[in-house]
Amino acid sequence: MKAIRVHNTGGPEVMKLEDVAVPQPKPAEAVVKVSVAGVNSIDGYFRDGRFRTLLPFIPGQEGAGVVSAVGAQVKTVHVGDRVAWSGVLGSYAESVVSPEEHLVPVPAAIRDEQAAAAMVHGLTAHYLVTDAHKLKAGETALVHAAAGGVGSLLVQMARAIGARVIGTVSSDNKAQLAREAGADEVIVFTKQDFEAEVKRLTDGKGVEVVYDGVGKATFEKNLNVMRLRGMLVLYGMSSGAVLPVDPAKLSEKGSLYMARTTLAHFTATREELLARTSAVFGMIADGKLKVRIAKTYPLADAPQAHRDLEARKIAGKLLLIP
Amino acid sequence: MKAIQVKQVGGPEAMEFVELPVSQPKANEAVVKLAASGVNFIDVYFREGRYKAPLPLIPGSEGAGVVTAVGADVTSLKAGERVAWAGVQGSYAEYISAPADRLVTIPPGVTDQQAAAVMLQGMTAHYLSHDTFPLKKGQTALVHAAAGGVGLLLVQMAHNVGARVIATVSSDEKAKLARAAGADEIILYTQQDFEAETKRITGGRGVDVVYDSVGKTTFEKGLNILRPRGMMVLFGGSSGAVPPFDLIALSQKGSLYVTRPSLFNYIATREELVARSSDLFSMIKAGKLKLRIEHLYPLAEAQQAHRDLEGRKTTGKLLLLP
Repeated sequence: MKAIRVHNTGGPEVMKLEDVAVPQPKPAEAVVKVSVAGVNSIDGYFRDGRFRTLLPFIPGQEGAGVVSAVGAQVKTVHVGDRVAWSGVLGSYAESVVSPEEHLVPVPAAIRDEQAAAAMVHGLTAHYLVTDAHKLKAGETALVHAAAGGVGSLLVQMARAIGARVIGTVSSDNKAQLAREAGADEVIVFTKQDFEAEVKRLTDGKGVEVVYDGVGKATFEKNLNVMRLRGMLVLYGMSSGAVLPVDPAKLSEKGSLYMARTTLAHFTATREELLARTSAVFGMIADGKLKVRIAKTYPLADAPQAHRDLEARKIAGKLLLIP
Repeated sequence: MKAIQVKQVGGPEAMEFVELPVSQPKANEAVVKLAASGVNFIDVYFREGRYKAPLPLIPGSEGAGVVTAVGADVTSLKAGERVAWAGVQGSYAEYISAPADRLVTIPPGVTDQQAAAVMLQGMTAHYLSHDTFPLKKGQTALVHAAAGGVGLLLVQMAHNVGARVIATVSSDEKAKLARAAGADEIILYTQQDFEAETKRITGGRGVDVVYDSVGKTTFEKGLNILRPRGMMVLFGGSSGAVPPFDLIALSQKGSLYVTRPSLFNYIATREELVARSSDLFSMIKAGKLKLRIEHLYPLAEAQQAHRDLEGRKTTGKLLLLP
């Protein structure tokens, strides 16, 4: 089968389209013919070696497709089932092998592109507002990168809960998208100081929660824009990893809470995974959650997809079609 | 009046027993004649300069006594009333001038010594277990220094709510006290590795929350014993301040929360101060919270009180009697 492989970590060019053997399922695994693979920032971290895995490897954590083979012990999926997944390395390929518990059914009302686009980002936005910090009506949330993959879904979900949303973006184009997603206030941080703006927008009190996938570039100011006993949920690091944090700062800035989260811990059981995917697919099917697909590339153009992702001019999901 | 004064930061000997004028109350203040002053670890941090304050300084931030005079704007208190406080600097003295809105009335049935003993550590244990991480029946908490001032109160409150308590202590004598306070499991951390023991006790699952006043020597291991999405509540640093830590560790170790609360932020409004202290006084009167007031020193012997506290020989509360 055709697959993208990384033999040495590095820039986007290290991803090469190659012919490899179709994987065989172990007893508790299934093989899925990939219809669509999702591109995520984390793929770049494995590709550039920031996150380690054995070499050579096939990148990609997310996708949608049809089950083509099942191992002897598999009970929850059957050949022919439409499924989607996140957290399964090897998705930038025509077929991927996965433990059965990672595969979730895709409802008929959801297209493959929507399912692939919604898994990582949708599940992330969902766990952020339901569990990482359980957002309540009337609270104010600061959402960074509000026009981005997770950001645009976060804005929609937060508004659906009845929270007030302040979004930050890097350009006027993205500001428009963030407003379309429902953000009550949008700050173009390249033109305004988001710290001063958030203070102004909250009468100096600050927000209850900051949802941040940006990391380094926003960290210090984030500590200054939260209200007493507010919560900073760090779920990504698109601008780089945050430098080591002095806990004394958390108390100085108002007995703040901080979490550094990752999707795996919020989909650790099949029960939790299915509850979240049902919720997200349900919202999409009802028209309540719009997933913007920015661009679709042939599998061979994975390097260009990564270049585009890292240039951060894209607002929306990038997909690869094997 | 007699008072303890620190002119230059240093060890216990930096505290001098001096004669000072009694200050007149400002318009919003009341003057209180102290019956007892509570000794707390935070007094050590100010005395040694770890926490900064203008010098010369009268240490001590907790006490109880009788109002002797009120400022022109004070209508809520009058001379003769019994009051208590935490967070008002200058308590190692015969008299203190304090903002009236920081003084709470001591109800009948609670003695001056009980009030002085419970304000700071009791409200700390209260906010930790009721607000920072509201403990629920069935949850498991690890409490370090469980036989210390806050420790014994926190263990009792956790036990009262039906949480399972794993207590760490440094001696058999302290183990007995922690058990009597309601701890379910005791770890003598001087003989056992609390990380390995906690993992064994919880069948590898870990605890829901770690309440850590020890800091430097316990923080990292504490992160290792939390269950996924558990919380590290760092509320002190008796072994030293926790150095800056890497956030990625929090996500790798289970998408953990960290907070570094301080009492001030949990009694920021008078409403909250009154609610917390009232709760404490009710618990004492109902016999649900037992105070261990073991160590009484004349005000003149403040140095010895600090030596004993820092020598980790004490259990429960130390009081200075003017």
